[in-house]
Amino acid sequence: MTTDKSAEKGRRLRPALFGLSTFLLIVIVGFPVLAIIMFALFPYINELSFREPFNVLLPNLSNPRLIEATLNSLSLSFAVTILSAVIAVPLAYMRARFPLRLGRIWDACYLVPFLIPPYFGSLAWMQLLQRKGFIEQWLGFNMADFLFSFPGIVTVMALHLFPLIYFTTSNAFAIIGSRYGDVAKVFGGRPVQVFFRIYLPMVLPALLSSSLIVFILTIEEFGTPEILGSRFGYEVIVTSIHEKFSDWPIDLPGASVLSLILIFIAFFAFQAHQKLSDKFQTTVENQTIDRRGEPLPPVYLAIVILIFGSIFVLAVVLPIVTVGIAAFMDTVSGGVTADNMSFKNLLGLFDRESEAWGAILTSLSLAVMAAIGTVVIAIIVAFTIVRLRSAATVFLDFLTILPNSVPGMAVAVGLILTWNQPWWPVTPYNTPLILLLAYLCLMLPYPIRMVTAALRQLPKSLDDAAYISGASELVVIRQVLAPLLLPIALAAGFIVFAISTRELVSSIMLAPAGVETVATYVFHQFDQVSVGSGMAMSLVAILVSGSIIAFGQKLQGKNRTGDGS
Amino acid sequence: MKVIVAAAAATIALASVANAADLVVYSAGPKPLSGGLAKGFTKMTGIKVKLFQSNSGKVMARYQAEKSNPQVDVIISASWGHAITLNKSGDLLAYTSPNAAKIPASLKTKTYAAQGAAALAIAYNTKSGLPKPKQWSDLTKPVYKDQISMPDPAKAGSALTLVQGLASAQGDKAWKLFEALAKNGMIVPGDNRAALRPVLQGARGVVFGAVDYIALGLKKKGETLEVIHPTQGTVLAPRPIMIAKSSKNQAAAKKFVDYVLSKEGQTLVAKRLILPARTDVKALRPGWKELKIINYDYVKAAGEAEVTKAKFAQSVGK
Repeated sequence: MTTDKSAEKGRRLRPALFGLSTFLLIVIVGFPVLAIIMFALFPYINELSFREPFNVLLPNLSNPRLIEATLNSLSLSFAVTILSAVIAVPLAYMRARFPLRLGRIWDACYLVPFLIPPYFGSLAWMQLLQRKGFIEQWLGFNMADFLFSFPGIVTVMALHLFPLIYFTTSNAFAIIGSRYGDVAKVFGGRPVQVFFRIYLPMVLPALLSSSLIVFILTIEEFGTPEILGSRFGYEVIVTSIHEKFSDWPIDLPGASVLSLILIFIAFFAFQAHQKLSDKFQTTVENQTIDRRGEPLPPVYLAIVILIFGSIFVLAVVLPIVTVGIAAFMDTVSGGVTADNMSFKNLLGLFDRESEAWGAILTSLSLAVMAAIGTVVIAIIVAFTIVRLRSAATVFLDFLTILPNSVPGMAVAVGLILTWNQPWWPVTPYNTPLILLLAYLCLMLPYPIRMVTAALRQLPKSLDDAAYISGASELVVIRQVLAPLLLPIALAAGFIVFAISTRELVSSIMLAPAGVETVATYVFHQFDQVSVGSGMAMSLVAILVSGSIIAFGQKLQGKNRTGDGS
Repeated sequence: MKVIVAAAAATIALASVANAADLVVYSAGPKPLSGGLAKGFTKMTGIKVKLFQSNSGKVMARYQAEKSNPQVDVIISASWGHAITLNKSGDLLAYTSPNAAKIPASLKTKTYAAQGAAALAIAYNTKSGLPKPKQWSDLTKPVYKDQISMPDPAKAGSALTLVQGLASAQGDKAWKLFEALAKNGMIVPGDNRAALRPVLQGARGVVFGAVDYIALGLKKKGETLEVIHPTQGTVLAPRPIMIAKSSKNQAAAKKFVDYVLSKEGQTLVAKRLILPARTDVKALRPGWKELKIINYDYVKAAGEAEVTKAKFAQSVGK
């Protein structure tokens, strides 16, 4: 791991890469976030006036409800992060021991939660577990008391977010391979010991990095706390922010002030994450990506499959089946009876007047562009952050988590403030491009966190070898690092694709006149309490994007075997 | 994938063609109504309408965020409070449409007028097996224990008008009513949809303060809902239509307001089961004559909204 001086000299593209990363992040992420911060400080900045500065800060921050909401936000985020890790890490560890094909199938399955908007997931859980809900109709009991409680919210959110940790850590386990464990076993390590002493420390950077994103996402998540929490008076910062957006009076500066608190929390979480990652930094020498260790004995394999299956049923099957049933119900009050079920809602999506197909096409194309865009940007930015480490790149790194720490509504307002200014010669605002920009802004954190976590594991000696052979940074990225990062980049791309197909809040705020996405369509159906049509649209969107993901996974499998690695 | 990207590029190229002469309308739901009004207007005048359709909160958020470079000409909200706020800050263009003559005086000002109104009502699921409630206060009876759901005044402007109206008409009695409802196990789960959902799904039986046209529309679709307007009196949630002072298209904007308040426009409003603002257009639901409406000072109440919301939260123990 020694750095050769001559290799150092060969890296001329450094400033260019750093400049490019900074430019992209500042334009895509920095501007809207800065706009929010400015709005919090200058309540009339929307009229381009700096009058009455700092006037809204104190009244908003001195609200007595705020302290409780902040504590609630923090405890919720900690609990969800811990539960997600508890679910995800064992799964990821076992995943590395699967036969390759089987592993890929489970990966595809665990991408599905991203396709379900958390808002729908919570509605589904409510429909299942509430008084006279589906479970009570079928099995005779309800779990309303559990659902409308702190553990209930934590469980629902963790079941939705754990795949982020799963994908990042399972990739980390794969990069480690089984050699280290084998060595430990040779020296008499017991399986539990091997897991906690060898594997866990080695995947810690990946675990910490994905936990950070889960933490931030929980802080920012609105749907679940709103739907479930409001039933037992559980208020978090985001629900307070949304109150300022929801009906009347609208208080954008106030919402921005509360968003500042979230930005601060994100900042501290990020600092803690940096400290921990530095402490537990590990790199794996000799990359081989051999994930096949000893095949599991059939009995163990069966047990492991059973565990994977149960989590899958809880996180995916139950919510989707519930959405599915609701999509087939003619009336909500009619309940689940034979004469209340038909294809009416689904067929209604495709009649002549309906804008459903157009909406699906728009969402899919935006999602593909967002996925490709974010992954390419993420690889460049990750390289800058991890390999060109400096004080400036730490700032960039922090910048990348910001969009996820602020509610989508606030980001949307930030984007309007940024791009709806008369001085821009051309602007994406009022064209569908603003949606792409919003998705890039909101989704960038996922691939950046996932790719940087993977890159941190790759030894620098790999790059150095290439530099000595005369390669430039671009060649190193393209021919050395990108192939090694491909699996995680693809997983990140699929996650971005999945989330983009159903992104709700910013789409509703930013969609230009006449442009419908899946989310705006569903929103309008729900707004008229046409629950069935809304659910039908979601179901179709989930199925369409799900099959695209499955297809992509299959292609990936083919490529992998084609490489012969 | 390439096909999708190409298709996307095409969609974007098509959609970016904007025309400065088009009328820009931001409207709160229901979507078929705003869509229908826009279509009818274009047919009559030839002026194209660019419609941003959302809910009141998002319409206003977008308007506020766009202030340095205003885009909108006409705003339709479902919350009278928005019109009051915008009027106070001098954001509205003074215009009295000749078609506003038949609108009751309480629902029009120099700068804004109601396009229609919802009345706040009791909606109950007939499958719940509960007796049919007649008055607001009926719901404090033990038979409705743990069966009531109410939209949160902090999240639904319509529920706020109900609280304001009842409080102004009944004073302390109204606050006692909310306390008693809370004691009777009433849930306050969020906006209008959140309050209605558990009642449709059977987890609860009655909505206290439902937006009547939404409930009536659901009933028409076959939901087992019954809508009751208490004879003790109920409150209107008028839906204001207004022209932004910043509008660069004021002539067309005025024409649009005229159209919405014309007999044709009001008939479209009536079709969505909303109470048309004009008393001479037939309502397809309990109309001006059937409803006993509590009138109160909207502007004064708007000024006290924060206090009212806090007081409500306190009385229901939120």
